[in-house]
Amino acid sequence: MHINPLRPVFALAVRRGRPAWLAGLLLALPVFAAERLRPVSFVNDVVPVLTKAGCNSGACHAKAGQGQNGFQLSLLGFEPQEDYEHLVKESHGRRVFAASPDQSLLLRKAVNRVAHGGGQRLEEGSEPYRLLRSWLQQGMIFDRDTAPKLVSLDVQPPRKTIKVKGEQQLKITARYSDGRTRDVTPVALYEANDRAMAEASETGRVKISDIPGNVAVMVRYQGLAAVCNVSIPLGAPVKNLPPNKNFVDELVFANLKLIGVPPSPVCDDATYLRRVSLDIAGRLPSAAEAEVFLASKDPAKRDKLVDALLSSPDYADYFANKWTALLKNKRDGASDITANFAFHSWVRDSLLANKPYDQLVRQLLAATGTIEGNPPVAWYKRVKQPTEQIEDVAQLFLGVRMQCAQCHHHPFERWSQHDYYSMSAFFSQIGRKPTATAGEDVIFHKRGVAQAENKKIDLKAVVRVITQSSTYQLSATPNQHNGVDRQNYSHFYPRRMQAEVLLDSIDQFTGAKTDFADLPAGTRAIALPDNSYNRGSAFLKVFGRPEGASVCECERASSASLAQSLHLMNASDVKGKLGAGGGRAERLAKDDKPAAPKIRELYLAAFAREPQSHEQAVVEEYLSRPREDAQGKPLPPDQARRIAYEDLLWALINTKEFLYNH
Amino acid sequence: MTSPKKSPLVRCAGPVSRRGFMNIGLTGFATLSLPGLLRLRAENAGKPPKEKTAVIMVWLIGGLSHVDTYDPKPDASTDYRGPFKVIPTNVPGTHITELLPLHAKMADKYTLIRSMSHRAGGHPAGHLRMLSGDSDDRDKTAPRYPDWMCVSNYLRSKQAGRTSPLPNYVAINPIEGGYAGPAYLGNAYSAFSITDDPSRPNFQVPNIGLASASESRRLSDRTVLRQNLDSLERSFDKEGELGALDQFESQAVTLLTNPKTRDAFDLGKEDDRTRDRYGRNRWGQQLLLARRLVESGVEIIHSNLDGAICGTAGNNWDDHAVNAHVFNGLRYRCWAYDQAVTALIEDIHARGLAKRVMVVVTGEFGRTPKISFDRSTGAHPASGAAGTLQPGRDHWPRVFSNLWAGGGIPGGGVIGASDKRGEDPLERPCSPGDFLATLYNHLGIDWEHTAINDLTGRPTRIVDGGAPIAELFT
Repeated sequence: MHINPLRPVFALAVRRGRPAWLAGLLLALPVFAAERLRPVSFVNDVVPVLTKAGCNSGACHAKAGQGQNGFQLSLLGFEPQEDYEHLVKESHGRRVFAASPDQSLLLRKAVNRVAHGGGQRLEEGSEPYRLLRSWLQQGMIFDRDTAPKLVSLDVQPPRKTIKVKGEQQLKITARYSDGRTRDVTPVALYEANDRAMAEASETGRVKISDIPGNVAVMVRYQGLAAVCNVSIPLGAPVKNLPPNKNFVDELVFANLKLIGVPPSPVCDDATYLRRVSLDIAGRLPSAAEAEVFLASKDPAKRDKLVDALLSSPDYADYFANKWTALLKNKRDGASDITANFAFHSWVRDSLLANKPYDQLVRQLLAATGTIEGNPPVAWYKRVKQPTEQIEDVAQLFLGVRMQCAQCHHHPFERWSQHDYYSMSAFFSQIGRKPTATAGEDVIFHKRGVAQAENKKIDLKAVVRVITQSSTYQLSATPNQHNGVDRQNYSHFYPRRMQAEVLLDSIDQFTGAKTDFADLPAGTRAIALPDNSYNRGSAFLKVFGRPEGASVCECERASSASLAQSLHLMNASDVKGKLGAGGGRAERLAKDDKPAAPKIRELYLAAFAREPQSHEQAVVEEYLSRPREDAQGKPLPPDQARRIAYEDLLWALINTKEFLYNH
Repeated sequence: MTSPKKSPLVRCAGPVSRRGFMNIGLTGFATLSLPGLLRLRAENAGKPPKEKTAVIMVWLIGGLSHVDTYDPKPDASTDYRGPFKVIPTNVPGTHITELLPLHAKMADKYTLIRSMSHRAGGHPAGHLRMLSGDSDDRDKTAPRYPDWMCVSNYLRSKQAGRTSPLPNYVAINPIEGGYAGPAYLGNAYSAFSITDDPSRPNFQVPNIGLASASESRRLSDRTVLRQNLDSLERSFDKEGELGALDQFESQAVTLLTNPKTRDAFDLGKEDDRTRDRYGRNRWGQQLLLARRLVESGVEIIHSNLDGAICGTAGNNWDDHAVNAHVFNGLRYRCWAYDQAVTALIEDIHARGLAKRVMVVVTGEFGRTPKISFDRSTGAHPASGAAGTLQPGRDHWPRVFSNLWAGGGIPGGGVIGASDKRGEDPLERPCSPGDFLATLYNHLGIDWEHTAINDLTGRPTRIVDGGAPIAELFT
């Protein structure tokens, strides 16, 4: 049944301005009696109006954001009890005036009749205005205990295919504990997850723009959220799909067919070798590896390459680098070094041995003892507070961000403060006893035995299934249809190499080495155990190596910056690598071989491919140019060649083809 | 007014100063006022009315003793009062101490806030409170929120129409030690840092202007070669990522090769009188460089008056008795401070920048009005020998002073007041939020509504409580 407490009663009495006696007469009619008896609900009518009008948003009167001018409401109306207190009782009740509702500060501010920092929020005489007004008139009843509870939210349609530039009106139905339902379309809040693809109006009308793909519109009402998933087809013919190698391809290609976005073709061997080496082993393939791979006629050579990379120690180094940053292996003081090295080794060795994921996580969370005896205990050293523990665990291992729910109901998830503190109670059972090392505790779990099923989740299998899929192997070059796609995997999305990988790649390409404190010579940047090396390396800092401060991958900066460009072009450390003694430039300059094979070596080392003929010509011309010193005197040929090779290394490192994994 | 010659301390030998400090005084700009005027006229005639506003923040790391400088308390008892005499300024009723004689001659050009107040008593917390608005008063090893300079840099980078090839945020002697920084905005928005001492004859800014013509030629050879070899298929770049990279690369080449960018950092292009007026020492030349950069189109600048004024000894404003004899320490640095800050303010006015460029001078807090005593470590140049008992002042965030000029501030005002000992605000308390909102407001940034998502995706407002200090402009 559809409830609207206002329409029959107040619509007549107020909107049309009939004399009050007429309203009284109408009220007396039995047909209206049932509706008249239903008073305006604070919980189910008033609070949603305040939320929809934005009164309790963070920047306005939400308590979480201080509450403008001392008027505080709970964020997005999640705590009606508090809202009632603040609205009705606080400030000697000056905000409400039942005897003359229109004189209430609540309404006068809302329509901006008295100066209001937030401007006009409601139209005088509008439906929400009249709702508030009648609630005031009825004596400001607080019905938290009697009001039916909101139990579910239904979006119609929940899933729909809409053409480019199309529109769709959503209908939102709330279901209450007394079995009634109610159309809450006008008072619900709408938000598209990608505004470039769709806009949702205040009234629940979804307008699709011109980008094909999938977009979701989130609908929020009180504590609940629901989603309408929209597919926006491009409608292009999808033929000649690459082979389905596993379930990834089945799902991705089925979606591409649905939305009519044809994928790019599978990339060539050189591109694949470079891409997969960077993604699994965090390094460039060597010139020799490239030569062998390109020459091989084995039809299964790509799959075999993945297996070889996964069983190499580079895989463990590279993924340990990811995991230790997310697990906050941070060096705050000199004494952290032992713990950090131990923890890093534990993660790396676990990955190298392909310890099942569930076992890895269990060893981490259930770790007891000292760091020396049991390195995963170091996580409890880093992440000390139960609130931090629950937030990190939820985000890292459950894929849920709980932070918001510490202070208020999660604004766009179903998690409440109750959930938050119930969950963090697990971690309050962790006992600590200090050790001789400052800041390091012996960890023990006070009670309970965790029973868990051994699932043997294979981490390498995850990487394998992704990198062996045709989807992963698609070319980065878009076709005439799929260029705009950034979410459906119709082509490969190139990424700039991350800081550590780029530094290692430059070292590998130039034949130089970077020295890191307390580590053996030749240690690569992806094998660094903690964040302390960022301080000493301008390179790592400028290219955004994370500090291990957050469990979000997003801490790693991937955006370009002026400092990065300057660094690659002119920084002394990069310059030093170009001319490194015993490095590639020196070796090639001294080598008496003709230019062609040397150019080939450079291209294989930088891009895992052969040079094209025009590149070959450009480089040969550059190498053969006569060169002068600062005074304008011609340089002897060996010096000139050395300079030319350094320039060439510089130019290749500074190309997008080098900087990007594509 | 105290002549520097009477000071008990030996100052810099003055290696480059061409004339006595006393001779410079206010006459330094007499010759500059005419070109200043002409520039003003030219501005009014030709340029579009809306220029991009800018801020220069002069930072006094460690915390300036407010009661010994801008907020004297001559009637406090001797356990509070310092040795410095109170002197009148050219604004009737406004008094400061004899440490700042040049300030006294031009109090009509700046406004003092004597009631800035917060509760973060450690250096990291004080910085984070003032610069990034972190309301948590505990010390931290790194900022949780981006400082206002990075935020402004980030927000301005989203606007079109900037023509200067220079980076938009430059730090001259940057605030370091995790006291400031971009936090979740990422390093792309952090400062272009100048760490070398600009008063050194061979002062150099790395990555600005290549030293020789042959280096420059080599870079251009390399860039041409790179262009010929950069063959990556670019049709995937729908999001403009490569476009942005191209832009940074060409900006980098400009910085490295364009003589104009090199000029912006070349203090040798400044009049000798001007250089003298700012002071031929590190701090003076830092502020001159700030003014020079702001004229070349840099919009966000901070300059930390930290480290050796001249010579090699370390030095900042953190005058605990163990660090320094507070009064000798202030004498040791205030002559240069007085000269540099007043030169900047005068210069901003003389060059017609007083509307566009806002100057703010402050540290993270003030210092305890009550004098404490401890044994010297002897480390500071203005310290007694190790083991001598000497006076000091400790951290005091509850009330302290800032100086504001330019940015349309008419000057001559004093906002707020501290109580009779300088311990708490008595009138018009101002908060770090007010401080930040005032700066954002000048930069045309919507301080009230702008929120930036942190790494958890939570929208975080750039000012959490506070409003621009309107009295500055009346």
